[in-house]
Amino acid sequence: MQNLLDFLARHFHWLVFLLLETVSGILLFSYNSYQGSTWISTANAVTGKTLELQADVEQFFSLKRLNEELSHRNIVLEQQLAIYREQLASNSQKQITDTCFLPSDSSSISAKIPAKVIANTIDRRDNLITIDRGRADGVRPDMGVISGTGLVGVVYMASEHYSIVLPVLNSRSRISCSIRGRNYFGYLTWPGGSPVEAYVEDIPRHARFQKGDWVETSGYSAIFPKGVAVGKITNIYNSRDGLSYSLKVHLSTDFACLRDVFVINDVRLPEQRQLMESARDSLEMK
Amino acid sequence: MLLDTLQRLLIFFLLVLVQGLVLNRIQLFHCATPLLYVYFIIIFPLNYPKWAMLVWGFLLGLCIDMFSNTPGLAAASTTFIAALQPYLLQLFIPRDADEHVRSSAATLGFGKFATLATILVILFCLVFFALEAFSFYDWQQWLLCVGGSALLTLILIFALESLRK
Repeated sequence: MQNLLDFLARHFHWLVFLLLETVSGILLFSYNSYQGSTWISTANAVTGKTLELQADVEQFFSLKRLNEELSHRNIVLEQQLAIYREQLASNSQKQITDTCFLPSDSSSISAKIPAKVIANTIDRRDNLITIDRGRADGVRPDMGVISGTGLVGVVYMASEHYSIVLPVLNSRSRISCSIRGRNYFGYLTWPGGSPVEAYVEDIPRHARFQKGDWVETSGYSAIFPKGVAVGKITNIYNSRDGLSYSLKVHLSTDFACLRDVFVINDVRLPEQRQLMESARDSLEMK
Repeated sequence: MLLDTLQRLLIFFLLVLVQGLVLNRIQLFHCATPLLYVYFIIIFPLNYPKWAMLVWGFLLGLCIDMFSNTPGLAAASTTFIAALQPYLLQLFIPRDADEHVRSSAATLGFGKFATLATILVILFCLVFFALEAFSFYDWQQWLLCVGGSALLTLILIFALESLRK
């Protein structure tokens, strides 16, 4: 007995070692399936707050550039406005009665929650973005996230005041998108490497399109509305099995200097997901 | 003892903040990131309770994980290094040294400290990036990560150590 106790006392640290490594291993390998847990991540209260403070400071120093961008944007918009005014004036003279009925815009049922990026990586294989809005602000997992320049990603986890977003720049991101004006659709993937290039897979062989065409979200799910810019086609390849095209896309969103984003809260999302799940269930029962 | 723990705690938080807010942003060639927090484990003195070192290491890794969204990754690697450090340190300590001698360039001499730090940092980087990639399908990239990160980390450690004198 004495010997056993001695032995344990002498090798106690190895037991501690095994225990701690096991805990680390569990954390490491169960992260993916552990949707509910956000406490060992940038979404927990302490790290969230720290990173938010840092983001505030950084934002202060980038105000000048931001200002320039905004005033530039303002000029462009004013020019556009002038063109539209002119067109409107010439149209109203023609007095065309419009009998077309347009369905109400989908923007009425989707609200945009403004959020700020407080942590962001672009150089790993699986990048994640942390934003400063959480469940308390209405953010739920699976909601879409966009920025002023285009697509960003999908909310992966949400804690009380922070959320983690799975951006396009993540090997697990798969977002349905289509070619603007042509309606062929595929899904967007990112194989790693350059943070400005991604690929659209599964574009059918009979599709007609050309380099320089815009790719946008397809609007098939309620996660993103139709028409959010994704990027421009820069190259066209054959897929590995030769059955479809794979398009190299230059992303319109600059993930390296992402600051202000919007979370899209579409009231139809839960309903659509529920319908999808019940459809899947009924198929499995057969 | 209390003073020692407080001092250790201060270094702990400083290293976590520096890593989380500054060093995590540095990524040369898409992968080489300085992982300065290993320094915390290298400087544990001789005959520090081994289980306490392991707990320190684990907590350090966990805090780093919180900042980089990689639960368990840094924790597993720092715990591993914390288990090895006492055995490696024993090899480098001169025989007539004090029982609780600190592990630093001043007590070991720069050459010996540098060797100790290099071994530990390289082992750490090996484990860290092996766990991160898990499969070695891109072993050249993996080696570049290990080499680059180890080099950057060592440069920072030597700079810090020469400041502490």
